[in-house]
Amino acid sequence: MKKRGIGYGSMFYGLGYGFSRTDIAAVTLELNQDGSIIARSGEVEYGQGSDTVFCQIIAEELGVDYIAIKLITADTDVTPDSGPTSSSRLTFVGGNVFIKASRSLKKLLSGVAEEILGENDLVFREGMVFSRADPEKSISFKKLAGEAYTRGVPAVVTEWYNNTTQDVDSETGQGDAYSTYCWATQMAEVEVDTETGKVEVLRIVAVTDVGKAINPLNCEAQIEGGVAQGLGYALEEEIKEEGGYVKTKTLGDYMIPTSLDVPPIEVHLLEVAEPKGPYGAKGVGEPALIPTPPAILNAVRNALGLRIHKLPANLENVYHLIHGEEAGK
Amino acid sequence: MRAVRKVVMAEDQVKTVLKMIVNGDPVEVAVDPTWTLLRVIREELILTGTKEGCGIGDCGACTVLLDGKPVNSCLVLALQAEGKEVRTIEGLGTEENLDPLQESFIEYGAVQCGFCTPGMLISARALLDKNPHPTTEEIKLAISGNLCRCTGYVKIIQAIQKAAQPGQ
Amino acid sequence: MQSYEYYAPRSLPDALEYLAAKAGDCRIIAGGTDLIPALRKGDIHPACLLNILEIAAAGGISETEETVRIGATATFNDLADSGLIRKEFPLLAEMALSVGGPQTRNRGTIGGNIASAAPASDGLPVLMSLDAELELSSRRGNRSLPLAEAIAKAWTPAWAADEMITAIKINKLPPGTRTKFYKLARRKALARSRMTISLILRRNPEGVIEDLRFVPGSVMPVARRMREIEKLLSGKVPTDELLDQSVRAVGEEMVKVTGIRWSTRYKKPVLGNLFRIVLRQLITAG
Repeated sequence: MKKRGIGYGSMFYGLGYGFSRTDIAAVTLELNQDGSIIARSGEVEYGQGSDTVFCQIIAEELGVDYIAIKLITADTDVTPDSGPTSSSRLTFVGGNVFIKASRSLKKLLSGVAEEILGENDLVFREGMVFSRADPEKSISFKKLAGEAYTRGVPAVVTEWYNNTTQDVDSETGQGDAYSTYCWATQMAEVEVDTETGKVEVLRIVAVTDVGKAINPLNCEAQIEGGVAQGLGYALEEEIKEEGGYVKTKTLGDYMIPTSLDVPPIEVHLLEVAEPKGPYGAKGVGEPALIPTPPAILNAVRNALGLRIHKLPANLENVYHLIHGEEAGK
Repeated sequence: MRAVRKVVMAEDQVKTVLKMIVNGDPVEVAVDPTWTLLRVIREELILTGTKEGCGIGDCGACTVLLDGKPVNSCLVLALQAEGKEVRTIEGLGTEENLDPLQESFIEYGAVQCGFCTPGMLISARALLDKNPHPTTEEIKLAISGNLCRCTGYVKIIQAIQKAAQPGQ
Repeated sequence: MQSYEYYAPRSLPDALEYLAAKAGDCRIIAGGTDLIPALRKGDIHPACLLNILEIAAAGGISETEETVRIGATATFNDLADSGLIRKEFPLLAEMALSVGGPQTRNRGTIGGNIASAAPASDGLPVLMSLDAELELSSRRGNRSLPLAEAIAKAWTPAWAADEMITAIKINKLPPGTRTKFYKLARRKALARSRMTISLILRRNPEGVIEDLRFVPGSVMPVARRMREIEKLLSGKVPTDELLDQSVRAVGEEMVKVTGIRWSTRYKKPVLGNLFRIVLRQLITAG
């Protein structure tokens, strides 16, 4: 017999290391004569899209073409240490330092532009720098970069952003452990086959508050990947040990979802601006995956009227839950 | 792409000369009979786009086309490719002229860490060569032997659908 | 990996000559999906490796009026894509499409699957249900051997070291016969079977079962027809009570062979459930 159920899982998650642990990012921006920019920062991009976001931020702040930015990250020879990629911290901590550095560079260049244009309230947009009051008074960003060079203005800035928080009270556990939190809720619809214990996830809806989606496509991609990971965690993934030896040794033994196992995923990005975040942005790496297993397990509870207490909710565990419980009644 | 390549054989190693066609070019390389096609591709031909994810056929990161069919190159002995046509990711489009699949993968954000991507593109290319207008289910089946941990497959499937549309 | 001598003949006589000369020291490789991981792990150290993929006589899928001949080197995708197999033995095509993933289905061969004699083989249960015969060749000549005799013990093919499978022969099924292969696994691709059901059913116009062949897979050391269950249902109309009875009987028959193991608590009831699910599908299919 097949039984259907719907379940929800909600989570909140602190970004960064929290608890007074050192949490810093740094970047050096260097402007070339031709208007191109070299950015050096220690963050590690491994496909989640942090490099993209950092370039977007520079382009946004300075009005330059995204293509004109050369970003070097995670090279211990030349990039300042910015901590590891973990705790869903890159957009927040790294993004903030890129904004800070971009604005420092902007201030430097504004000084040069003021000398040339005679105006001090300037807009940097689409490769131009112009007076807000009188847009006719303008100079191209490229030309401005060249002018800064010939005037001997060293257009190199280095900034740090410190996200280190206070610790909580050691007696009461109260305090602002983290500088900000992510919120997310997911819904899972499942169908359980009571004759085999097989749990089929029919669909997942994920609503995540990302503060501000600097790159919506990449936010979605992170969440979709996280949901698939949560699916595997809930239903199949298991490391078996026996007498201290790991028995699950291959990708054939440790089963992650294949393309045929992932159900339709509907992603909604909520943008509730985080005042401390770059343009209001928070982070999404881990929040993507946290609500998925509870949503699925709650859906199974809804379908069966029984609660899973042991992961993964695989064939045997679910079957024995159903029939063990019945036997016990 | 290199044309003919001969490798000097060390005296104490038993090697056979393997002749095959790789990405349209004839190739000759001396191989040990225990070597897999994957090893030859990566370490003798220095075509490192093809990845070794597991080495035992469980992940698809090493997928290449062998006489037009997608196979795990870690499960093909190099000598078994004698006289055959091999197509790796390097043979799929060029930097100046990307394959429509490569274009749509970029457009749809279907690449995150990139480790599964070469194998995915090869499997997708094999699918579209055989079935230019696949359904979503057919796409999922075609890439079901390529594991991805980053994307949840969502944008990969969308990208393949886009590349398959009429007129593309 | 320890090195070996490698030979890839195009002609069957050359292969058989080589096998005879090296008998005992030689492993046959076709798709390599089982063999190459075993070589890498160091589980086997053959002195010689004979690649049979280039031998035309060991490949192909063809028919006569009464039989179908499947070459030993036919891949799982060859079987899944074959109009002939889909028509004559749908469960064989279903099984073929369920094995591994697209890449391994382009290399793994039915001959290799049989020769592994593995308890988790998916090909063996289906072929057992079809009463398949093996065509074995050696320098000494050809012979036919029923699959049930060829694979009577796990991991132990019963043919000589100088023999190789060249083909599998299956008699076509009488009109009105329905077949189904069902695989229970932990995920929908790249998964070993937890349990499989191979079922062949023919009923007369009154609904009485005339022919029932049932082979459970991945539950016993060697796949074989559960004749006790077939007997329980043959010549009868499958009522709900009879099916309930058979569900229990299937589990009990399995335990008679396997004894009680850690997996029995799950497999015993579920195997019976699956048998009933698949039998019902075949009954209601028309």
